[in-house]
Amino acid sequence: MIKNLLYKELRLATHPTQFLFLSFGLMLLIPAYPYYVAFFYITLSQFFVTTIGRENNDVSFTAMLPVAKRDVVKARLLMGVIFEVLSLIIAIPFSFLGTFTHPSGNEAGIEANPAFFGFVLIMFAIFNLIYYTGFYKTAYKAGKYFLAASILMFIYIGICESLVWIPVPGLKEYLDTMNASMMIKQLPILGAGILIFVLGYFLTFHISAKRFEKVDL
Amino acid sequence: MLLEIDNLTKKYECFTLDHVSFSLEKGYIMGFIGKNGAGKTTTLKCMIHLASPDSGHVKILDMDFAENELACKQNIGFVLGAADYYLNRKLSTIADVTRRFYSDWDEAMYRDYLNRFDLVETKRVKDLSAGMKVKFSLALALSHHAKLLILDEPTSGLDPVSRDDLLELFQEIVEDGEHSILFSTHITSDLEKCADFITYIHDGRILASEEKDIFTDRYRLVSGSRDSLTDDMKKLIGCREHHFGIEGMIHKEDLALCDGLEVKTPTLEEIMIHIERKDKKEGVTE
Repeated sequence: MIKNLLYKELRLATHPTQFLFLSFGLMLLIPAYPYYVAFFYITLSQFFVTTIGRENNDVSFTAMLPVAKRDVVKARLLMGVIFEVLSLIIAIPFSFLGTFTHPSGNEAGIEANPAFFGFVLIMFAIFNLIYYTGFYKTAYKAGKYFLAASILMFIYIGICESLVWIPVPGLKEYLDTMNASMMIKQLPILGAGILIFVLGYFLTFHISAKRFEKVDL
Repeated sequence: MLLEIDNLTKKYECFTLDHVSFSLEKGYIMGFIGKNGAGKTTTLKCMIHLASPDSGHVKILDMDFAENELACKQNIGFVLGAADYYLNRKLSTIADVTRRFYSDWDEAMYRDYLNRFDLVETKRVKDLSAGMKVKFSLALALSHHAKLLILDEPTSGLDPVSRDDLLELFQEIVEDGEHSILFSTHITSDLEKCADFITYIHDGRILASEEKDIFTDRYRLVSGSRDSLTDDMKKLIGCREHHFGIEGMIHKEDLALCDGLEVKTPTLEEIMIHIERKDKKEGVTE
């Protein structure tokens, strides 16, 4: 059932910007840029999916199908998560290429290293939790929750970028580097990011599905 | 029994679907009538849990809907008005998505309906007229051997020829005694042609659910001069006075009170108009 709903999402609901923004991993080649922004666009494209779906009466189409309401939520959320993970996977080669295009490192933010990828996964978890659980209160109001999720994401990005400026000896050297041995030491942060992202998905799904089941379509 | 609805209740701020109960056997067409806002669409939505009912049960093919939602939905063809979704997509794309959800999807049958309804698959939904959108929705709903078709206003927006064609199709569908159709409408003339049963909803409550002929036979239309209006005629339903006299509707068993008046059997539309008029005048329900 979920497989069919994912197919429906892909054929009918996906927005062209979702595919376009996947290529924004290219931004990791920019010598001075807050790289989190490249991944913020992936969340923006999910907002487009929701609003375009609303304009296209996605709900009245889906209502016809022999599916449970919670599976509708699961498919929409899974599709979002797939694009989030894909955006990170596509970005990995560019993070390595970046060490050649600007060997002196990113002048405007932390390097695109494993710790950064872990932080981005947590950023996605924040977005999913705020946006989807908010949207599925009504299955109609999207803008308010995208704004709330965006504000929180930018506060979170601010905190992450500020970490390297905390005067703790060795912290900047640990987080803001593409040095191979240090990157291995960053893997626990990536692991924590993966864990929070996965747990966040389940929590987001649980709350969103419960809320959507109460929505009268 | 193909469909059983038992005390379906749903409270909104300004409207209550109040203990709605009715049932439909295999092989019949049931017209679900009531004026705008009476609760037709709400009932249909509560039936398949698009809106969650506060209480009550729905059984489809003797399966409790709440416990067997997916199996029940496989046996339902549900059309909520015209196809007004994914307007920029081709019909073929929407059909390609839809067919995957049904284990009993019948591609040949779908192609037959496309031909019958003159639908061109390469067109986009936005290029279809209102009537064609209804037909496309129906083609999708009819192509997976659904035992029960639940159609909300399927004939609105269709021209008289298409409507007639559709009603004929409805009769063909139920002919085998295995399928049934529940369709809501306020175009009661459609039901005169094809419905076996009538369920009448008024302000969220079921006023009647019975065979169409029994339902229409309960009432008589009476008309006559103003002088013939007696106190007993308070029993007239939706009585209207005009230049030429009075006209109203009365329960068949009260017909003796209307001695001297012209009497005729009402159509469904006339019954509906008089009942709704009575309610409007007196603020009471049947």
